[in-house]
Amino acid sequence: MSLKRQLLLVSLLVLILPWAGCQFIRETESALREGQQQMLAGTARAVAESLAQYGDEFPSANNSDFMIGDQIYGHPLATAPEIDGYFDDWLLGEASLRELPGADGVIRYVVGVHDAHVYLYVRVVDRSPVYADAQSLVPNPGAPQADRVRLISADPPYLEEFLSFAAEAPGTIVPVRKTDFGFAPEPAVRAYWQDVPRGYQLEARIPARLLGAHLGLEVQNATSREAAGVRSRSFASRSPGRFVTASPALAQVAAGLAQPGMRLIVTDAAGWRIATAGDVSAGAAPQPTVVSTWLRLAYNAFVDAGTGAGFAEPDPGGREQRNYIAAALNGRQESAWFRSPETGRAVVAVAAPVTAEGVIVGAVVVQRGTEAILSLRNETLARLLNVTLITMLAVVVALLGYATLLSRRIRHLSVAAEKALEGDDLHTALPSALAGDEIGDLSRSFSYVLGQLGDYNDYLRTLASKLSHELRTPLAIVTSSLENLEHEQLDETALGYTERAKHGADRLRKILSAMGEASRVEEIMKHAEPEVFDLRDVVAATVEAYRDAWPQRRFAFSATDDAFAVTGSPELVIQLLDKLVDNAVSFSADGDEIGIALSVDTQSRVLPHCRLDVTNPGPPLPQRMRGQMFDSMVSMRAGKDDKHLGLGLYVARLIADGHGGRIEADNVEAGVRFSVFLPTA
Amino acid sequence: MWQIVATISPETCVAKRIAIVEDEAAIRDNYVAAFKREGYVVDAYAARGPAMEAFASRLPDLVIIDVNLEDDVEGGFELCRELRSRAADLPIIFLTARDSEFDAVSGLRLGADDYLTKDISLPHLMARIAALFRRLDALARPQGSESRISRGDLEIDTDRMRISWKGQAVGLTLTEFWLVHAMARYPGHVKNRQQLMDAAQAVLDDNTITSHIKRIRRKFAAIDDSFDAIETVYGMGYRWLAD
Repeated sequence: MSLKRQLLLVSLLVLILPWAGCQFIRETESALREGQQQMLAGTARAVAESLAQYGDEFPSANNSDFMIGDQIYGHPLATAPEIDGYFDDWLLGEASLRELPGADGVIRYVVGVHDAHVYLYVRVVDRSPVYADAQSLVPNPGAPQADRVRLISADPPYLEEFLSFAAEAPGTIVPVRKTDFGFAPEPAVRAYWQDVPRGYQLEARIPARLLGAHLGLEVQNATSREAAGVRSRSFASRSPGRFVTASPALAQVAAGLAQPGMRLIVTDAAGWRIATAGDVSAGAAPQPTVVSTWLRLAYNAFVDAGTGAGFAEPDPGGREQRNYIAAALNGRQESAWFRSPETGRAVVAVAAPVTAEGVIVGAVVVQRGTEAILSLRNETLARLLNVTLITMLAVVVALLGYATLLSRRIRHLSVAAEKALEGDDLHTALPSALAGDEIGDLSRSFSYVLGQLGDYNDYLRTLASKLSHELRTPLAIVTSSLENLEHEQLDETALGYTERAKHGADRLRKILSAMGEASRVEEIMKHAEPEVFDLRDVVAATVEAYRDAWPQRRFAFSATDDAFAVTGSPELVIQLLDKLVDNAVSFSADGDEIGIALSVDTQSRVLPHCRLDVTNPGPPLPQRMRGQMFDSMVSMRAGKDDKHLGLGLYVARLIADGHGGRIEADNVEAGVRFSVFLPTA
Repeated sequence: MWQIVATISPETCVAKRIAIVEDEAAIRDNYVAAFKREGYVVDAYAARGPAMEAFASRLPDLVIIDVNLEDDVEGGFELCRELRSRAADLPIIFLTARDSEFDAVSGLRLGADDYLTKDISLPHLMARIAALFRRLDALARPQGSESRISRGDLEIDTDRMRISWKGQAVGLTLTEFWLVHAMARYPGHVKNRQQLMDAAQAVLDDNTITSHIKRIRRKFAAIDDSFDAIETVYGMGYRWLAD
C-alpha cells in the first residue's frame, strides 16, 4: 500500500469529529428533553390531581365485565355531517373506521356525536344486494329476508331496543324502531342508503335521547329473500358494550388547564379518549425548518430516532393504546418522545394516572412539541456538519498533498541512490540531505552508506597500487640480500636455495609491477598529450606483432573501409589491445582463431565511434559477475591460473574510459567478444 | 654514521666515495655491503640532517638518495636540491620505492642523473654507478675520437655519455642515453622493449619505456622542432631512422 493511500486511510479518522460532535449534540438534546419531560411530568401530575375531583365524569370502572372490544366510541364531531351516505364530510379520516368481518368482505363503521345527535356511518361490502320490500321492511319474525343494518341500544340490564335500517331503494330511508311495544317507523332518525359498487353505505343521524348507554351494531347480509345470510355484530357478548362518548365537562376543564403548545388528552380507564384540549403545534410558531436532504440524512444517522411523531397524535380509533398511556392506566406515570424523521418535528409526551377514591379512573396525557430544542439542534448540527465537512476536506487535501510530497521525496531519494550506485558516483549529494526530518536522516544515512561504499570501492581500486608500493621495499630487502648472498661462500645446496628464492622474488616483483600498472596507466593518461592517429594502422601493425608472439594461435584481422582517426595515445590503445588479446589467448586453445575487427559504430552515440572487437572461441562468460568484470581485482578465471589478479581488464577499462570510450563484453556464437568503443577524432 | 674506510679500488687508485641516504636499515646495509664489495668507500645516512652535516665538510663522489626519508616525505628531493646547488656536477641517483611518473619527473627536474626504483638489481645498480664514474673520468680526460659514434645530425660520445643533435648537446639521463645509444647504433633496426630494457640495464615496464621515449623525443624536439628520428613501430618497439 503506498504512503499516499495509507495517509488517506488515516485521514478517515477525521470522521470521528462529526461523530463526536453529534454525540455531544445528542447528549445536549437528550438533557434538554429530559428537562422538558420532567416539567411536563409535573404538569401531568397537577392536571391528573385536578381532574381527580371530576371522578364522576369518568365512566364508572365497574362495567369492566363488558369486553372493551364490544364498546363503541362516539367520536366528537366538530361539524354535523350531511346525511347523504358519504363519509367525506365527517373529517375523521379512514383510520377512524372500525372493522367487522362480513360475509363478502370487511364491514367498516364509525359512530360520531355532535350536538345531541349520534351519527352512524356503515360501509358494507355486499355482492348480493337484497333490497327490502313492503313485507320485509319491518323485521318481523317470519318476514322475508333483506340486507339490513341494526343499531342495538341497551341500558342493561333493563332495556334492549334496536333501530333497523333497510332500504326498498337507495336514497333516504326511514328506519324501523323496535321497542318493547313492537315495531314502529322512527321518523326522528334521518338516514340515507347509498348504493356503491360491490355494496352500500349507510349514513344516519339519531337523536341521542333515543339511545341508551350501550350501543351495538349488527349487519345482516342476506343472500336472497329466503336466505337470512350472515349477520355480523360489533359485540361478542350477549348484549352490546358501553357507548363511550367524550365528556364536555372534562373537555372544558382540560381546555382551562392546557397551555399554548401543549395538548391534553384525558382517557377513561379503558383508554378511550374522553377529552382533548390544545395542540402541540399551537402557540409555538410553527418552525419552517428548512432541512436539506443531506442534513436530514446526517440527522437521522446521528440523532436518536424517536418513535414517529405521528404516533403522538390522538388515536383515530378513539382508544389510546400507546405503551406509555397503558402504563399510566396501570398506575405508573410514564413519558415518551416522538420524532418525525421527515420534518424533524419532535413531541415529548407524559401520561399520568387519574385516581379517584383510590381507583384509577383514567389517565391524563400531556404532550408538547419540542420545536425550540429542535431548531437549536438543527442549527448546531448544520453548522457542525458544515464545519466538519470543510475541515475534513482540508485535512484530506492537506494529507494527500503532504503524502505526495513525502512519497516524491522518498522516490527522488531512492532514484538518486540507485543512480549513484549505477553510475558508480558514490560521493554524490542525495536529495533531502539538508532536511531535518527522518527523510533527511535517511538521506544522510544513505549518503553515508554510499560514501562508505565509494570509499571502499576507491580503496579496492587503489589497493593494488598501494600494495605494490608498500611491498616494494621489503621485496628490495629480499632481493638485495639474495644478491649479496651470492657473493658469499655457499655450498651447492645453499646456492640452490638462493636460486629458488631469487626466482620467487622475481615472480613477486612481476606481480607487484602488474599491480601497480593500473595506477601508472591512470597517471600516464593524466599527463598524456593526445595525438590523432589512425587506429587501423596501429591495430594492423600490432596484430602482426601478435602473430610473432603467439605462433600457436591464428589472428584474423579485418577492418571496414571507414576512416579510424582516434585522438589519444596509441601506446595506451596498444596496451589495451594487449590486455584483450592476452585474455583471448589465455582462454582459447592452440590452433584457435582470434578475430580482431575494426568497424564504425554510428548507432548508439551522437558521435560515431570506432569499434574494435576481439573475439575468441572459449568458455562463455559467467553471468554472475558480468557487472564487475572490468573492476579491479576481479578475475573470472576459476582457479586455473593463479597468476591473474584480475587487473588486465581493469586496465583495459581505464584506458577505454580515459579515451572517452567504453568497453563491453558479450557471449557470442563464436565464443566471447570484447568490444571497445572509442570516439572518432 | 657509518664512516667506512676506503678500500683500494681495482680500477682507480683512489677509491670513490659514495654516500647513501636511506632510512630503511636493511636496504641500506645491503647496499653498503655491495658497494664495499665493489671497492667503494661508503658513507651511509638514515636522515637528511646528518647527511647534510657530513656533506658540509666533504662532498662524496656520488650520492644515492631515497625520496622518502623517515618522517620527511619529500626529504630526498630537498636534499637533491641542496646538493645540486652546491655541486653542479655531482652525480645524484634517486633510488626509491615510489614508481610514479610524477615523482620521476620531479626528481629528474631537480637535476638528478638517474631515477631508479628499488626493483633494480644490485648488478644493474653497480653497472650504472660504474658508468656514471666512467663518465666523470672521461669528462676529466681530453676528448678522444675512438669513442664517438656519428649518425647524421646525431653525435654520441660513449665515454662521456653525451649526445648532441646538430651540434647541440642534449641533456639526457643515463637511462635515456643508453636507450638512444641502443637505437642509434643500428639505425633502421627495430629495438623491442626487452632489448631496450637490457640496454638501459634496468627493469622497466612498457609504460616506463614509453615515458622514457617520450621524454627523449621532447628533449630532442627542444633543440630541433622537426626532430622525428625515433619511430614507433606499433606492437614491436622503436627504431632510429637512418637519414
